[in-house]
Amino acid sequence: MKKIIITIVLFATALVSAQSQFEQGMGKAFQLWGEGKPAEASAMFERIASAEKNSWLPNYYVALVNTTTAFQSLGDKEKVAPLLDKAQEALDIEFIKHPENPEILVMQAMIYTAWVAYDPMTNAMKYSPKVMEMYAKAGKIAPENPRVVFGQAEFEIGGARYFGQDTSAMCAQIDKAIGLFATFKPETAFHPNWGLDRALEAQKECNKK
Amino acid sequence: MKGIFTFLFLIVSISVFSQTKISGKVVDEKGLPLEGANIFIEGTYDGTASDADGNFSFTTTATGTQILKITFLTYESFTETFIVENFKSKTIKLKESMNSLDAVVINAGTLEAGDKARVSVLKPLDIVTTAGSAGDIIAALQSLPGTQTVGESGRLFVRGGEADETQTFVDGLRVAQPYGASANNIPTRGRFSPFLFSGISFSTGGYSAEYGEALSSVLLLNTQDEPVQEETDISLMTVGLGLSNTQKWEKSSLTLNTAYVDLAPYQLAVPQAVDWNRAYQSLSGEAVYRYQFNSGLLKFYTAFEAARFDLNQENINTTEKNRVNLNNNNLYLNTSFNGVLAGTWDITTGLSYGYGQNKIGLDLDDVENTEHASHLKLKVSNKFSDRIKLSIGADYFITQFDESFKENLGDSFLSGYDANIAAAYSEMDIFFSKKLAAKVGFRASNNDLLDEFNLSPRASLAYKTGKFSQFSFAYGDFVQAPRADYLKYTSQLETENTAHYILNYSYNRQGKTFRAEAYYKKYNNLVKFDTPTAQFNSVYENSGSGYAKGLDLFWRDNKTFKNLEYWISYSFIDTQRDYRNFPIQATPSFVAKHTASVVTKYWINSLRSQLGLTHNFNSGRPFENPNKAGFMNGKTKDFHNLNLSWAYLMSPQKILYLSVSNVLGTQNVFGYEFANTPDANGVFNSKPIVPTADRFIFVGFFWTISKDKKTNQLDNL
Repeated sequence: MKKIIITIVLFATALVSAQSQFEQGMGKAFQLWGEGKPAEASAMFERIASAEKNSWLPNYYVALVNTTTAFQSLGDKEKVAPLLDKAQEALDIEFIKHPENPEILVMQAMIYTAWVAYDPMTNAMKYSPKVMEMYAKAGKIAPENPRVVFGQAEFEIGGARYFGQDTSAMCAQIDKAIGLFATFKPETAFHPNWGLDRALEAQKECNKK
Repeated sequence: MKGIFTFLFLIVSISVFSQTKISGKVVDEKGLPLEGANIFIEGTYDGTASDADGNFSFTTTATGTQILKITFLTYESFTETFIVENFKSKTIKLKESMNSLDAVVINAGTLEAGDKARVSVLKPLDIVTTAGSAGDIIAALQSLPGTQTVGESGRLFVRGGEADETQTFVDGLRVAQPYGASANNIPTRGRFSPFLFSGISFSTGGYSAEYGEALSSVLLLNTQDEPVQEETDISLMTVGLGLSNTQKWEKSSLTLNTAYVDLAPYQLAVPQAVDWNRAYQSLSGEAVYRYQFNSGLLKFYTAFEAARFDLNQENINTTEKNRVNLNNNNLYLNTSFNGVLAGTWDITTGLSYGYGQNKIGLDLDDVENTEHASHLKLKVSNKFSDRIKLSIGADYFITQFDESFKENLGDSFLSGYDANIAAAYSEMDIFFSKKLAAKVGFRASNNDLLDEFNLSPRASLAYKTGKFSQFSFAYGDFVQAPRADYLKYTSQLETENTAHYILNYSYNRQGKTFRAEAYYKKYNNLVKFDTPTAQFNSVYENSGSGYAKGLDLFWRDNKTFKNLEYWISYSFIDTQRDYRNFPIQATPSFVAKHTASVVTKYWINSLRSQLGLTHNFNSGRPFENPNKAGFMNGKTKDFHNLNLSWAYLMSPQKILYLSVSNVLGTQNVFGYEFANTPDANGVFNSKPIVPTADRFIFVGFFWTISKDKKTNQLDNL
């Protein structure tokens, strides 16, 4: 009897440890990212992606980490293109599997936005409509997703400010997004749940005028 | 007893989780350590990043056959199957990715514009925002080195070659009639609206074996693969109206584009040097349909244009003007498929058909000609790796040309020809390293009308000398059947041929591009005839020859000055040829020794406006002056043309555009026409060939209607 119990316990432990390996790995990767080591974090997410082929999250974070780094490196032009290529490569793997996932659509919109920021004169014409296409598609699927609502409003507000047009509609969307952030419940601790701080920044900008 | 059991279990579980150490070193092709490479066992969590010395070490619980994978930005991924238990520490060399932006590019002779171009000298927007181009693709290309400004023609003249030595291709398929209809000394425009094309590659020599039937140059236009959104574009211009609409579905899309041009109201407002009975008027339409299959993309492109004009041209030989009344109908169809054939083999195949019909009334005589020109194409290519790519293909060109000349109250004369050209080619791209690449190939063609077979080798080599600079060299033999003007009277001719030698240096660094290209071209077998103009009873023979040599320089800078983009191009050419009815080898009248242009675009943020200034210059062009001894011994004065344009974004989707050509009002002369016979004093009278108007003013309003409310037609201007 005891043998059986011990066997079961050992077996269960093995299962639990397999489960927590994902959590441990993700936790470690987030920690690295938090410590300002995006390259290491991206590498860690990439390794998790190779082991967890059924989860879209690791590749999503490879894309997010590299795109965020690209935005921070806009001053160093030679760095940006390889980072965005890496992000796109990782996202492509999941895009085919989950073409209707709003978070992945938002991620794609962010990669395009980064290309626009990288070289507006060359890329704005080409990528701006694509950014809008991604947000429009995501908005249809998940109109209450705060990142969808905020991402679209943030992208539109830049153009409207430039033309001196009324930004109140977009500001209202940003307010709405902030409300949605408050109630948004990610499926697990590792599902995307970022964006509130940026939305609050944008709201401040709105309230200035 | 219990204790033993527990102990046994522990042993078992430890052996299950037994760990193997995996270690080694990651280096680049030179053996230098790479820091930050991601090393892991595929399908497991086990892995690490390499340290500053390229060393890595981690433990794994995996056993048996596994895949070791190494990834690193800008390097090719490394994968290797191995048995964990047998792993021995090793050094792994990563190859630099050929896809990365700083790899060597085979670019001798080629000027790229567009989305996909790795090193582009022009952006898609430039075609249209260049002052003076007025939306004409051809006019924008004339601001690039290697071209001649030939104001009375409007066509592309490349490196000492005639305009018909440039062959135009849309999605890889020939366009037999790329220009709109025009009369003698009245400039024409390219037929295609820049709106539908996302990539342009303009080769001024040494081009790929994929393209043939062009002695000097190829212009490759690629239609957009996929429009980004549904939209409607409305254009109101001083010269006409335009309307375009794009619809998008799940897997397919359709773009319709139509334009009506009528120069009559404008010419009423601004008097012209031309005596028009009916000013230029045209109705044109284009349609592009795309369907995305799982295995590839099908595109269907069609363009139709009906144009007419009627004018009286002064003639130095008669007191009366000559009337030219022209009606032109042109239809172009093009279907292409680009996709995966099987495995790593790709296929590109297509069919194009061009129909051109001209009805020309010359005073009381009538000329009518029709041309049917088809092109069938099949190309397969295999990218064996990032380093080797093979293309094999075949072309079949069918041309049928018929012309009738009916004298007033007289006889009709018929002329024409049918020619079929079959060609096959093979070409290989080889990247020896990120620094050295080669492209070698050949093209074989057979012309059944001339009963002639030709084999043309092509080769180019590129070597990267520094992070931002490289040298390339290209060599090629090129053949082309003589022009319709001769072939319609006789088929007792041979193809004309050239050999190109090109040496290119280019420097590209974030927003700055410098390009220098030296070339030598040798012409042989050029057609000659023994009468003042090519006519039915002339004696034709392939006894002509010639050469062209020169230097083309290009500098573009988008970076140094904020909001200012500019480029400067300069071409020097020394060319002579003995062709047509030339008594000796001489420089033809369309060639200027020095050609230069400066193009600037300045974005004024506070005015939301783009200001464009373009200056074109060329030194005097030769002309034949019968009052002086020798041949082609006259020279016109220098040519100057300063163009100004202003695009104002009224709102994100409304643009007001103004352009003025020849702002300074320079009195330009392209050449002179001389009387056939001298007057009573023994002097041949002459008349200058001048632009149809000293200045052209264009005002347009462009309005885009789309869901995103952001897109506009700035790239159409």
